[in-house]
This record gives sequence, structure tokens and C-alpha cells, in this order.
Amino acid sequence: MSYTVHFNLVWKYVPELLNGAVLSFQIAILAFLGGMIIGLAGASVKIFGGRLLRGAVQAYVSFFMNTPQLVQIYFFFFALPQAGILLTPYQAVLVGMTLNAGAYLTEIQRAGFLSVRKSELEAAETLGMSLPQTIWHVIFPHICKVLFPPLSNHYIIMTLGTSMAAIFGVEELTGRAFNVNAITFRSIEVFIITAGIYVGITILASAILVFAGRWLFRVKGKVF
Amino acid sequence: MIESLWEEIPRFFTYYNCVFLLEATARTLTLTGIGCLIGFALGFYLAVARLYPGMMFLPLRAGIIFYVEFFRRVPFLVTLMLIFFFCQGFRLEVSVFTVALITVCLIAGSYTAEIVRAGFESVHHTQWEAGEVMNFSLGQKLRFVVIPQAWKVILPPAFSFFIAFIKDTALASQIGVVELTYVGKVFNNKGFSPVLAFGAILVLYYLISYPLARFGVWMEKRLVLSKH
Repeated sequence: MSYTVHFNLVWKYVPELLNGAVLSFQIAILAFLGGMIIGLAGASVKIFGGRLLRGAVQAYVSFFMNTPQLVQIYFFFFALPQAGILLTPYQAVLVGMTLNAGAYLTEIQRAGFLSVRKSELEAAETLGMSLPQTIWHVIFPHICKVLFPPLSNHYIIMTLGTSMAAIFGVEELTGRAFNVNAITFRSIEVFIITAGIYVGITILASAILVFAGRWLFRVKGKVF
Repeated sequence: MIESLWEEIPRFFTYYNCVFLLEATARTLTLTGIGCLIGFALGFYLAVARLYPGMMFLPLRAGIIFYVEFFRRVPFLVTLMLIFFFCQGFRLEVSVFTVALITVCLIAGSYTAEIVRAGFESVHHTQWEAGEVMNFSLGQKLRFVVIPQAWKVILPPAFSFFIAFIKDTALASQIGVVELTYVGKVFNNKGFSPVLAFGAILVLYYLISYPLARFGVWMEKRLVLSKH
């Protein structure tokens, strides 16, 4: 037990770490939005598509859900140059995370779409609603309400997942923590502060998502 | 590119490379298996300890909430580094495998604490009160009333979480634990084509994870059916 904790050496690097957190946020939100688009297409194909397309989407989803994200990004980063596609670390991470998120979000959105009950559609028909009206007043609110909690949950998981980018040399929060660690050699302090920032940004994101969910879709959620 | 890959395959799947791959697979599974078992025990105990009533246990409950929220909101990589440097800073002579194992235990503990708590909450409060009326202690209430009903809610998410951990332990390669991902990096550095090196790793992860995931889905369906 001979370690003296010196936080004062690390404090001046906190702004730099926070700048890294902005990049983490950027990666997470871009990958999430990209994943949402892929997921929307994938879920539509899985519900309405033909046999062949469904099989293709199923293969994509099961491959990306059953292999580690880290190895997927490794694969994109090291193997694609062999095929003549050269990705920068940032692009490789973004592509890997987007495709990975796409697989998970396909499953989440499919479950959400299928949760619309037939009786609800029949009730809408009984009320004489047109198709756009049914979509806008019945299907859309229902799907939003069902999908919001798992989607916000996955967004938090993705925010944590961005720390993998550090391994490829992207200077987001964890990457900058590695740098500051290399400058100051105060490893424990640096990583305690980094962990604190991660806790802070995910709690902030959870709080915003919970309030947005309550306000927009009347989803009851808790931050803790 | 395809031809060169084809030529490389016999050079890649030599006896020693295969042994190396299998040993690494075993290490990944050991890390996940032991880590998740200890983590489940820890998480279960934490979820129970959160039920202790009264002001006296308030610090304990606050501590558990802090623990659970902290480890669920910090990335695996950062926790790993924290524990790695912690062991180093305090001169604890432990192997990198132990460091990874401790990390897995701590994180699995925090997640299972939440899963078990959700399971406890799924049991209707009248059931708890019935136990109270019978003058059961907390242990008896859990054993005779709550757990027989809650385990069906706890088991499927806990299981799918453990499968997710097989994939998350890939990050342990960053501190030098020789598990599957590390082997992929070694093969890549040895000059094998990255398509082959990381492709083999991806396939192995898939072969481990996919049957377990299917089993999890099957189990979940069965348990949901048997509940009604």
C-alpha cells in the first residue's frame, strides 16, 4: 500500500478529456442514427420482405449480434484495405459501430412493429380512419411508446461502446485518457476521472431521454 | 486476393495454430464462465442486501446503488484499465487474467444486481405481504415465496447477459490476456492475412455464441409459456 493519490497533476487535463467526451458523443449519435436507418430497413424487410431478403437480413443480424464489436471493427480496419478500401480509424470505428447497431436495432424495431395488435387496427377501421390516419393516430404513437425505452437503453450501451475507438487511436474520451496517462503517469487518477465523466455523460443522456420520453410519448421511465 | 487467401489456408490451419486457437477459446470461456458465476452470486447478494429495511441499512443501500450505477455506466475498457492500474499501483502481484476476471466479476455483479432486483419487483407486493403475515424472515420470504416465482423472470435476461459477456471479454485482449481476440491480433502480426486471422476469430465467436443465444430464446419462450 504505497500509492499516493495526486489528483492535482491531472486536473488541468480535464478540459481535454471533456473535449474527448464530445467526440464520443458524436460517434455514438452518428452510429445510432445510422443504425436506426439500417434497423428500420431491416425490420421492414424482416416483416414484409420475401424469403430471400428475409434470409439475408437474418444472416446479417445474427452475424453482427453474435460476434464481438471489437473484432468486427478489427476486421474492417485490417481486412478491408486488402480489398482496396482504406478506412481511417475514425471511419472504421464508425462503420463498425453503425453496422453493429443496425443489427441490434433491427431486432428491437421488429419487435416494436410486431407489438401493434390486430384489435387496435380493427378498432381504427371501425372508427372509419383512413390509412394515413391509422398510421398517425394509432400505429405511430403505439410503436413510439413501445420502442422508446429499449432504444434509449441501446443508445446508452452505444455511448459506452465508443470507448473501443481508443484501441484504434481515435482520440475520444478513453483515447485521451490513454494520452493523459502517458503524459502524467497518474494512471489511477486519470481513469477515475474518466470513469466519472462517463458516469456523468450517461446519467445526463438518461435524464434527457427519460424527460423526452415522458414529454413526447408519455413513457414512464426512471433515470436510476 | 481470393487466390492468395486460398493459398494461405493450409499454412494458417497448422496443428499448432489450431491448438493455439482452441486454448484461447477455452480461456475466453473460462473467463466468462467463472466471472459470470461469481458475478451472479455477487449481484444476487447485492439485490438481497438492497431489501434490508430501516434507516440502519441506509448507507449499505446507498453504497449498493452507487456500485451498481457506477459499473453499469463505465465502459468495460475503462473499468479494466482502472483495475489493471489499481493492482499495479498498490503492488498487488496478480496476473492479467486475474485482473480481467475481477473486472468481469464486478461488472457482471452490477448488471445481475439490477436483473435480480427487477425479478424481485416482478413478484406482486401482496405476495411479500403474505410472507410478512406468516411471520417469515427475509430469508424465508425469499426462499419460500419470492424466488420460486421470480426465477422465471430472472433467468432469461441473466442468461442473455452472460452470452453478451462472451463477446465483451474480447476487450480483455487489450491488457494482454491471451484469449480469442488476442490470438487474432497475434496471427495478424505474424503476417497472416487479416481476413483469415480475424475471420477465423469471428467464426469461432459465432460458433460459441449462436447456439447459446438460440438456447436462451428457447428457454425464454418455455418459461413464458409455463408462467400462465
